[in-house]
Amino acid sequence: MNIPWRMRANSVFTVVALLSVLLIVASLLVILLPILWRGGSAVVFRGTVEFRRMQLEQFQRGDTAAVRAEVERAAGVRRHAYEIIDRFSAGLDTAGLETKARQLHREFGAQLRNRNLDDDDIFDLRELSGELRDEFLAALESSDNAEALGHLETILSRTDDERRLHGTLAAAFFDMAREYRDVVGRVDLSHREEYLDSLQQVKEAMQNLLGPQSSERLPAIVMEQYGATRWDQAQQHLDHLLWSETWVAVVPGQPLVKTRAPMEERFAGTELAELFPYVRDNAEAMLRPEWTFYWRYFLDDSMSGHYFGGVGPEILGTLMVTVLAILLALPVGVITAAYVVEYGRETVMIKALRMCVNTLAGVPSIVFGLFGLAFFVIYLQPKLGLPQGSSILAGGLTLSLLVLPVIIRASEEAIRSVPPSYKEAALALGASRFRCFVTVTLPAAMPGILTGLILSMSRAAGETAPILFTAGVAMGPIPTSIAQPTRTLAYSSYDMAVGDKMAMLAPHNQFGMVMTLVAVVLILNITAIIVRGRMARKLRGR
Amino acid sequence: MRNLLRMIGWGVAAVLCGALGVSAMAQEKTTLQIEGSTTVGPIVDEFTEAFKKSPDFKDVTITVKKTGSGDGIAALIDGRCQIATSSRFMKIEEFEKAVKNGVMPVAHTVAMDGVCVVVHPSNPVKGLTVAQLKDIYTGKTTNWKDLGGADRAIVLISRDTSSGTYESFVAFVMGKDKMSDKAEYVNANPQAHSRVATTEGAIGYVGLGFLDKQVKALEIGGIMPSRRTIQSGKYPLSRPLFLFTNGYPDLGTPIHAFCTHYLSEKGERIIDAKGFIPVTNY
Repeated sequence: MNIPWRMRANSVFTVVALLSVLLIVASLLVILLPILWRGGSAVVFRGTVEFRRMQLEQFQRGDTAAVRAEVERAAGVRRHAYEIIDRFSAGLDTAGLETKARQLHREFGAQLRNRNLDDDDIFDLRELSGELRDEFLAALESSDNAEALGHLETILSRTDDERRLHGTLAAAFFDMAREYRDVVGRVDLSHREEYLDSLQQVKEAMQNLLGPQSSERLPAIVMEQYGATRWDQAQQHLDHLLWSETWVAVVPGQPLVKTRAPMEERFAGTELAELFPYVRDNAEAMLRPEWTFYWRYFLDDSMSGHYFGGVGPEILGTLMVTVLAILLALPVGVITAAYVVEYGRETVMIKALRMCVNTLAGVPSIVFGLFGLAFFVIYLQPKLGLPQGSSILAGGLTLSLLVLPVIIRASEEAIRSVPPSYKEAALALGASRFRCFVTVTLPAAMPGILTGLILSMSRAAGETAPILFTAGVAMGPIPTSIAQPTRTLAYSSYDMAVGDKMAMLAPHNQFGMVMTLVAVVLILNITAIIVRGRMARKLRGR
Repeated sequence: MRNLLRMIGWGVAAVLCGALGVSAMAQEKTTLQIEGSTTVGPIVDEFTEAFKKSPDFKDVTITVKKTGSGDGIAALIDGRCQIATSSRFMKIEEFEKAVKNGVMPVAHTVAMDGVCVVVHPSNPVKGLTVAQLKDIYTGKTTNWKDLGGADRAIVLISRDTSSGTYESFVAFVMGKDKMSDKAEYVNANPQAHSRVATTEGAIGYVGLGFLDKQVKALEIGGIMPSRRTIQSGKYPLSRPLFLFTNGYPDLGTPIHAFCTHYLSEKGERIIDAKGFIPVTNY
């Protein structure tokens, strides 16, 4: 090849090399930046008054008086919105009556138990009240005036029972039936359906936005006890409140088309119409968003399946499992490498050993997980008298097997690349082979070994499959010993993605978890790199 | 360098001592290990949350794992957990294996769940019959046009074959016929939901709690899945969710309390809030 061609090939190579470097950087940015950006929003965000109330009530954090005062102020603005809804739904919404009827039946049961009555009587009366309740609920459900009246008349015609229940709570069923009969006489129930669905949507959006009304019964699960804790979340809920989305057929036989219409229009001419501008204009006053730096995210325990709280136990668990795996794998790996390089000759056995190590490196991680389950968890743990089930110990052992090949290969290369003159000098001074290895070869090889360590540490911290069956739990206490299972960052983010709707409802928390994992790996790596740099400098005699 | 080696040495020694020493410590507290279905997971999570706050359970630690109904049952058989959660009943082989291992499985029906067939909201099709559904999933019907929809290929989304939801769906819809090779398998409800929500022409099935604005539920045989239609048995595709224990738990134990929590009013409200159908009616 002549010189101009060579030069041309050379510059082509340079361009390709540059391009590939750029590609790597770009893909790193494409992957990492969104994770860090969106994950960061789990820590830095505009927290609403609901967030501060949650922190106070669930984590006992913050100034009680100040938060209470703030809640009061927000409630003052909210009251008007609730009043609008209450006025509108008085004759329309049967859900309230339904809850009341159910509650009445329950309380009646409790009342009966406290009375001195025959068991049979209690049973009869309770059954009677159950029948009345069901009849009343049927009346509420019906959107046909005649049908609803029929159900109500059935209740009211049971005058014998009314006399029997006189003076008890269940007597209220008859009063409720009478009241509702009046409502049915006034209102056209078939008309009700039109608004009822939309009203339900409005109420749900309000509940999501502002949390339950203080007069309501406290919801059973923590995540429903608060409104939108973050301003970005609040805006989504606000959007659901102000806009109704429907899919309509524009051309028959063709896919439906999404249309957005203001909710206000749907309720035009009714009392509810004024709710929407009111909420839109006062959303900030209702929620009082403030920039929040939630650094305790990295320490806090989570609740309600990662809906609230942080990733403290996950970080601890990840570190415990990773460090344990490294502590177990490093000595074994280095000793194996030392044997292969320094002591073993190129026999068939050594060759076979090396082949096995290489094969081990290519085994999918889930295989290690299943092996760990079968050997460490099911077989070994009971033998050692440890409690049944997955544990940090089993997870660490499994991960140590997973990272062992990397450590062995890296250590082998590092030991081999130590100049023979070092060793020869030590041996010439009369050092034994062992002493020579420990005092001369190993220190010189240490930077290379640490490189292997860095690689394996990142791998161990990020693995999910081996942890799945050996150490990880989706929920559990913070471990106090390595015989207990733990939550880890990788496993918990997997858990958030399956099963529940958490990844949909709280995407910031999932991103936050992944960001934390990336950060933990980064910090571990940086520490190892600094240590390696120090060592290398020492070796050079500085 | 020596220091480093010494440190590593001490570390290993400490870890090993710890491993042996802690076994006694760990047993002081009663642990309640729960393992199994991802579908039942949300209920169990919230029950655990409720129990954590209860003073009676101060000395009980509860751990929850969600890998799949089959894994939970296997763990119960091996004695690796005390409660297995499952979205399907045990298979005969599993039962046999359990009994051979000296484990007598007892089922607690914790809640009911509907298997709702969902499509992209732009799909004009409102409902299907079971026979039509079967034709779709066996691959006989491949275009929505044949079902009164737009001219668009049907994308089949199914849960993976180890899921209890899959087995309920197959048992009810497919009978003995095989699912089409074109079906795409996803491994949990949220994945099925998001796959259908983002793919025009997709059809899939999810639990009742996953119905929202982003997907459209189809009527099956003219019945829309809802709390009421499932509870009354009108909607055909529903199934019970189970907790399995080894024998009926002794009264007064944490396991008993946990397995009967669904019968309490608080339990009912939790199940309701999580989008399942309680078996009680307070």
